[in-house]
Amino acid sequence: MANNSVVEIQNLVKRFPVGGDFFTALKNVNLILAEGEFTGLVGPSGSGKTTLLNIIGGLDSPSEGHVSVLGMALNNTSHGERARLRRKSMGFIFQSYNLLPVYSVFENVELPLILNKVDPTEREKRVNQALEWVGLSDKTDSRPAMLSGGECQRTAIARAIVHQPALILADEPTANLDAKNSHHIMKIMVRLNKELSTSFIFATHDEKIMAYLRRIIHLDDGQITEDEQIDNPKSGQ
Amino acid sequence: MLFKIAMKNLLGAKLRTWLNVFVTAISFFMIIFISAMYDGMREHAMQVSINTEIAGGAYWHPEYDPLDPMTFEDAHSVPPDAVRALVDQKKAIPVLVSQASIYPNGRIMPVIMKGINPEQNIVNMPTQMLANNDAVTIPVLIGQGMANDAKLKVGDSFTIRWLDAERTYDADEGIVVHIMDTENFKLDKGHIWVPLEKAQTMLAMEGEATYVTYAEGLSIVENKGDWVPRDVKYLIRDMEALIKADEPNAAIMYIILLALAAMGIFNAQVLSIFRRGKEIGTLMALGMTRSRVVGLFTLEGGLNAFLAVIMTVILFGPVLWYFGAYGINLGIDYSEGQMGLIIAKRLIPVYSIGLLITTTIIVSIIVLIVSYMPSRRIARMKPTDALRGKVAV
Repeated sequence: MANNSVVEIQNLVKRFPVGGDFFTALKNVNLILAEGEFTGLVGPSGSGKTTLLNIIGGLDSPSEGHVSVLGMALNNTSHGERARLRRKSMGFIFQSYNLLPVYSVFENVELPLILNKVDPTEREKRVNQALEWVGLSDKTDSRPAMLSGGECQRTAIARAIVHQPALILADEPTANLDAKNSHHIMKIMVRLNKELSTSFIFATHDEKIMAYLRRIIHLDDGQITEDEQIDNPKSGQ
Repeated sequence: MLFKIAMKNLLGAKLRTWLNVFVTAISFFMIIFISAMYDGMREHAMQVSINTEIAGGAYWHPEYDPLDPMTFEDAHSVPPDAVRALVDQKKAIPVLVSQASIYPNGRIMPVIMKGINPEQNIVNMPTQMLANNDAVTIPVLIGQGMANDAKLKVGDSFTIRWLDAERTYDADEGIVVHIMDTENFKLDKGHIWVPLEKAQTMLAMEGEATYVTYAEGLSIVENKGDWVPRDVKYLIRDMEALIKADEPNAAIMYIILLALAAMGIFNAQVLSIFRRGKEIGTLMALGMTRSRVVGLFTLEGGLNAFLAVIMTVILFGPVLWYFGAYGINLGIDYSEGQMGLIIAKRLIPVYSIGLLITTTIIVSIIVLIVSYMPSRRIARMKPTDALRGKVAV
């Protein structure tokens, strides 16, 4: 494994059964992502970016090849070990927020800390800190149904960062947001990336996100077609 | 941790939780109520039988077999001294039994004629209505069912024909002095009751009896001669056999009620759990293991059952208490005994501790199982499918 790499993928192939046949979603993918990177998996629908993100997150398993995330080889791990890796070291941000509707903003953000058995005093401190980061300190008692799309996604970001994971995976995080909210969200994530050194991997085809990325991996038909390093992102962040 | 999350989920879901809890509480209520009605019906049959017929037990003439009317002809004698002493102390009542025929409205009806002391207070029958009828040749007490069958009402007269101890047929006029409303069809159907002394005179059996029923709480006398003591246990054995024979029916009814309850709870839980596929996916993405997801939803089911017990007590407790105290008017006259069991007109459910505990445990186990099964299935899904809400039932 390369020094300071959070993700290392070699010869990854992912096939899905379709009818009596198989559809190959990822073909021979090789990739190394270093700590603190702000990376986007970019490509059209069906290019395999969400599949790759799910495999990196341990939500799906590879058909062939080797995948190592934060030093753990996912090929040889159990469901429980992968769950532990996600719980301790990863954060997820989804396109449709996936907030638990019966929980308040505070409770939604608190959930990863409860799963990690953090004590209540420390939990409260960290949740308030995370909500402050995303600018939702005044919405702690609100239910998701009472929030705007942007506020929901900021809650999801707070939930993803509250346990200070090493890696955050975001699947189309701005797809349901307008331009203003998208930029707001991205600025928050850039700030988190810089201040907490958290690595981010986005799956997106949103031009607005691409303007913030410092590395863009282009995917097409399940293959990496281009790996682009950007020293000066267009957003200037 | 799971308990905390389960509580949050339950209390946070508000209406959904309370609907699930309500369905479970209704199941608790229905099972307890209907089973208690069933138990109450059987208990009532036993109590009515003891109250109106059996009392503390009886001494039978050795020839007496209540199920064989042919034995009545020989089943009579003066009771043994010790038994007669009980009668003198008003702790027992002699009853003289004979076959007879009555001719109401020109028809002939075979009946069992029983002579009983009008002043007795050992069994709960309105026998005092037979007293003070000196002007009447034979005062007769009958039940409502008998009155309906014979189309008789108070004041109606009819011919009674009987065979006396000398094997001579005799006949005289009986007059209905009272029609009793009894729940014990065994005192009613095919029976006419006359004053004991009148019966003894009619049958030429002075001082004789067929059986002597004694008050509750008395022990069996020693000098009972060849008369056969029959305690309550013996006298209710038919009833117990009937109830025992009915136990499979009671069990089937209980199982049907449980199955209905289980289906209701299963539907509510499955709907609730499968609607939450995306939530399960999210929990998995946040690092919850499959076993914990299953544990969480099973625990939620358990808490659902616990809340349902509380809701049953608060919401349906007063209803159960009310019916337990005042009973339910069935509005149907079962006095004809066509059910083969004494059925109360006002049925009082009996809530035994066993019923309450068994129902609580069984319904709780059902809730746990129907929570466990769908959550186990959903937790076996790939997290990516669950996240997409792609739930297959």
